[in-house]
Amino acid sequence: MLVIKNLHVSVFDTPILKGLDLEVKAGEVHAIMGPNGSGKSTLSNVIAGRDGYEVTEGSIEYMGNDLTELEADERACEGIFLAFQYPVEIPGVSNMAMLKAAINSKRKYHGEDEISAGDFLKLIREKADLVEMKQEFLKRSVNEGFSGGEKKRNEILQMAMLEPKLALLDETDSGLDIDALKVVSQGVNALRSPDRAMVLVTHYQRLLDYIVPDFVHVLANGRIVKSGDKSLALELEEKGYGWIDGLQKAG
Amino acid sequence: MIAADQTQSWIDGHSVLANAPAWLNKQRTDALTQFETLGLPGVRDEQWRYTNLRALKSTAYQLAERSALNTELPATNGTRLVIVDGYVDLEASSIDNIDVTLGSLSDMLGNTEVQAAFGTTLPVKQHGFMSLNTAYADDGYVLIIAPKLVLKDHIEVVFVNQASETVSHTRNLIIAGAHSQCTVVERHISAADNPTHLSNVITEIVTADNAHVDHYKIQQLGDAAFHIGGVFVNHASHAHVKSHNIALGGRIARNDVHCNLLGQGAHIEMNGLVVGSGAQHVDNHTQVNHLVPHCTSDEFYKTILDDQSRSVFRGRIVVAQDAQQTNADQQNNNLLLSPQAEADCKPQLEIYADDVKCSHGATVGQLDPKSIFYLKSRGISDEQAHTLLTFAFANEVIERVQVESIRTELTQLIAGELLSGLADLV
Ligand SMILES: Nc1ncnc2c1ncn2[C@@H]1O[C@H](COP(=O)(O)OP(=O)(O)OP(=O)(O)O)[C@@H](O)[C@H]1O
Ligand SMILES: [Mg+2]
Repeated sequence: MLVIKNLHVSVFDTPILKGLDLEVKAGEVHAIMGPNGSGKSTLSNVIAGRDGYEVTEGSIEYMGNDLTELEADERACEGIFLAFQYPVEIPGVSNMAMLKAAINSKRKYHGEDEISAGDFLKLIREKADLVEMKQEFLKRSVNEGFSGGEKKRNEILQMAMLEPKLALLDETDSGLDIDALKVVSQGVNALRSPDRAMVLVTHYQRLLDYIVPDFVHVLANGRIVKSGDKSLALELEEKGYGWIDGLQKAG
Repeated sequence: MIAADQTQSWIDGHSVLANAPAWLNKQRTDALTQFETLGLPGVRDEQWRYTNLRALKSTAYQLAERSALNTELPATNGTRLVIVDGYVDLEASSIDNIDVTLGSLSDMLGNTEVQAAFGTTLPVKQHGFMSLNTAYADDGYVLIIAPKLVLKDHIEVVFVNQASETVSHTRNLIIAGAHSQCTVVERHISAADNPTHLSNVITEIVTADNAHVDHYKIQQLGDAAFHIGGVFVNHASHAHVKSHNIALGGRIARNDVHCNLLGQGAHIEMNGLVVGSGAQHVDNHTQVNHLVPHCTSDEFYKTILDDQSRSVFRGRIVVAQDAQQTNADQQNNNLLLSPQAEADCKPQLEIYADDVKCSHGATVGQLDPKSIFYLKSRGISDEQAHTLLTFAFANEVIERVQVESIRTELTQLIAGELLSGLADLV
């Protein structure tokens, strides 16, 4: 589904990703861990199509096509979803209005009719229940005045509504209390399916107890420096990244 | 023919009104004398610094004459008064369906309430257009709401600019009785052929104790029109007035909203929305005079400018020495959608009392790229993201509009089809 080869990305002429390789197949869940500033959000943003991230070398293929040719909104319509590390507050646009506009954009892109008001309400209620979000949040402005945890929950609600093929979750577990972590994990697990892939960026092994990944990667200095199965996360938890740095130097 | 840039030309063009009572002709000739000293404003006047009137002044105007409406208006079941080039057109109006005193100023000059209220709200320090309005205006609407009368439905007044290369001066008066409630929607439009017309329109609102008046001014003139307007309010004790000043059209449009809080417990809400594009220039001046204790004022103006359009906002709040326990707030936010657009804002607070709460804020900015990316990452196109965010900016003011049909109209204007069916979701 996603094939990244030798990816080099610069932000304002500063190289951040320096030869990153990653392959994600349908049905797989990948976890990416790594020190602060190593380039995890940069990777998520460049896949989602954020302006200002320049691919200087290498390639990103999604469903067999060159992803870099597409605008951010086209990528979303093609099934890519980014749950932001820092979700944006948009005063004056309600959650409902944004989601309805988003769903209809996607439908239009695929040559489908707009969703009816009734179907939309039914869908959003169902998905709000999935992430245990109160109905009143739906009418509130997008993320405005939401607590850190509520914002993350809202990201999962949006993901559930948009049913992506490839979901990138950038530290969705950060700032969640224990109960919220369970709820969010349930939400994510409910979306796991053989034709959907997920990439979880996280700092904490704890999340991976709830959402068990097929692969764990360590991103350091703009590259994937080690990959393994879920036991790698446990090893990292025990030994820290210093161990990896050493590995990288030795290699 | 009046050469707009020549003071003498305005003076020569003036005549007293044959059938008018002496009190009115005196106010008119006094105003003309005042105009002789004032002349028309220019960029050298501090209050007009950012508004270049060259295009308005370089036109020669005939005085508009009474004529019948030649434009089709959308059908209405409600109460509607039509004013064509400054003169009430009763034929085109439907006002018999309501039990209030509503009609033509020129027919009501004998009314003692009209005589007592006329001219009482105007500021001492005027600009030339105000004096010209008093000197020249023959007609306009008068609305008298009896004490305790509560009107649920709004009254619409449509001002049609019809004859090209003419100037009209219109004077309106709302007298709201004690404990009465009413909503008046003024709509200013141009005839279909987009005439070059200068309209100079003043509405005075005089309230008695506990009166509630919601006043809407929706200026949607064509882009060849010049408009100078004023809404002047006197507040009695516990009177609540909401002024909604919505400026969407015109080539050059200047509007003054002033209010005098004269009775304790009075409240004024001033809402403004400017949507400018092309070469439009919109200039809004507001003034709140807190003259007695325990009054509140709440002012919220938003401006959206595209292309080369420009706007000016000057908000003056004066709190007199006796006006203790005043609570005054003023916010002015400007959104520039194009690098050529320009917004000038000048908040001016003059506070002579010591026990008051006054706050103000002004911002000028663009749409936030982070928000645009967030929306795009959800599949929303660049264009729709801009529309949604522009609407979000305006919506804080639109939400303050109490008349549902106007809320829908403004939503449609800014968000187009994007939000259709979403009105209750946003
Ligand atoms: N817009 C930007 N301008 C300048 N530098 C940037 C920009 N965006 C990212 N960077 C830099 O790129 C590097 C990688 O940032 P990134 O956000 O991808 O790290 P991360 O791995 O997600 O870190 P964290 O774990 O703290 O979220 C950092 O050094 C960061 O300062
Ligand atoms: Mg990050």
